[in-house]
Amino acid sequence: MTALTRHAGAVVLFGGAAVVPLVIRDAFFLDSLVLILLWGALSAAWNVAGGYAGQVSIGHASFFGIGAYAGALMVTRFGKSPWLGMLLGVVISIGAGLIIGFLSNRLKGPYFALSTIALSQVLLIAVSRWRGFTAGGEGIPVPFRPGFATLGLGHVAWVYMALAVAILYYGVEVYLEHSRIGYQLAGVREDEDAAEALGIATRALKVIAVTVSAALTSVCGTLWAQYVGFVDPAYVFSVDLSVRFALNTIIGGIGTALGPYLGSILITVLETYLRATFAGMKTGFTGIYLVIYGAALILVVRWAPEGLTGIAARLRARAAAGARGARAHA
Amino acid sequence: MLTLEGVTKRFGGLTAVRAVSLDVREHELVGIIGPNGAGKTTLFNVVAGYYRPEEGRVFFAGSDVTGRAPHDICRLGLTRTFQIVKPFGNLSVVDNVMIGALTRTPGVRAARSDAERVVDACGLAPYATARARALPIALRKRLEVARALATRPRVLLLDEVMAGLNPTELGGMVDLIRRLHAEGLTVVVIEHIMAAMMRLAQRIVVLHHGEKIAEGTPAQIVADRRVVDAYLGEEFVLAQA
Repeated sequence: MTALTRHAGAVVLFGGAAVVPLVIRDAFFLDSLVLILLWGALSAAWNVAGGYAGQVSIGHASFFGIGAYAGALMVTRFGKSPWLGMLLGVVISIGAGLIIGFLSNRLKGPYFALSTIALSQVLLIAVSRWRGFTAGGEGIPVPFRPGFATLGLGHVAWVYMALAVAILYYGVEVYLEHSRIGYQLAGVREDEDAAEALGIATRALKVIAVTVSAALTSVCGTLWAQYVGFVDPAYVFSVDLSVRFALNTIIGGIGTALGPYLGSILITVLETYLRATFAGMKTGFTGIYLVIYGAALILVVRWAPEGLTGIAARLRARAAAGARGARAHA
Repeated sequence: MLTLEGVTKRFGGLTAVRAVSLDVREHELVGIIGPNGAGKTTLFNVVAGYYRPEEGRVFFAGSDVTGRAPHDICRLGLTRTFQIVKPFGNLSVVDNVMIGALTRTPGVRAARSDAERVVDACGLAPYATARARALPIALRKRLEVARALATRPRVLLLDEVMAGLNPTELGGMVDLIRRLHAEGLTVVVIEHIMAAMMRLAQRIVVLHHGEKIAEGTPAQIVADRRVVDAYLGEEFVLAQA
């Protein structure tokens, strides 16, 4: 298999995203595209810990929120560039990631997941209460100042920004599939004791994976805040958001490079469509996308536990078998 | 090569291993036998770094490894297998072995060819691309050995790699262990199957209630009154006679 066919899905997906803004200038459509790419990249970041290292977190909103707030506060409180905020967010997220990574060596499976939720809730409360600095629950509007240094970009520029990040993160995951550290992480994910017996420093490796995942998440948090132009603690530190990262990845294909992006396309499109459809109706429908999440998750776990990439692999195998069969008959 | 000095491991009020001393020389093939719950696997866990002993010390290749992390001990050249096999179930056989090989060979491509050689040597070549969890137990036990071998150990600890095998498979495993030993590896084997142990081990250590009650050549062990009472039983001795 050549590199091109192996990454055919990514070529189509990212190539398509690169071409679209040249043709379509509809703001709503471009907005959806930016969000698909950003949520995809965030899910890919989650996948580094949850998929490749097997450390399933439901608190990645912590790092997202840290990045979002670091960027927003750097602009509003200190009048500096959001890029500087992104850097600060990464530093803080690395610290928080080290804590979570350390916890992953003490707590397994569901207990680890719960501890990650706890971190995001602690941050939610801290940021909500520290009104003097963070503006508390009201949130912070991030002023739009045009320019690359201030991340005040137009829709088309944002598509390419999000696309660059998405491709970069995809590259990180491809690296994890073919490198020594990637194979060793697979060992840790499959059986920690066995990995340890084979000379792998499992504890250190988990901390590294979780910390890298945290830093990647934080970068996207900053970008998201600058793109959307508003941060508030109830959203950026929400469990909903953490679940979204995990769910996109699980539905798309956990532990695969393309999975998070496929999941993001499906879920983001569904959500956007549903929101638009039910927007004019009773407010009782505002949470309908959560019902869809739940239903999608149940369907995937029941019929396609390996996600959309798993379905694609199965279809490809069947097609190949069919072609062989046809040749045999001919 | 491997020396245990008065190793004691307790779990609460239970003493699983009591003051066990043992000396394994380079290029020796030592067997450890004993009834269920005698402390055999616990002893392996102490040696390989999974448990820290309450008392005593473990020396490997001249250095004190007591309380060192398992991965450190593996890198020093002592690798263990697990009685309850722990394959990386979703990965292929060759990938399983390659993860072991990567400990000595950092490059993925070189590690893969190392792994292919080991897979071949362990008779797993026909299953190289199969998922580990699809293998039957006999092949999983082989995979366990292959993966450990890929880390290029000087001492190999095998924890009941013959349990649950049929006579043919058992013979194959005995042959494999013999060959590895002949190639220069130091091997310590935990096993229940006395017949295999008699054919294999140069020296046998008997554990009972966590204590070492006997040590000697297979012939000496079979003749030992305490071993017969504790473990083998009269019938075995009569059958051997």
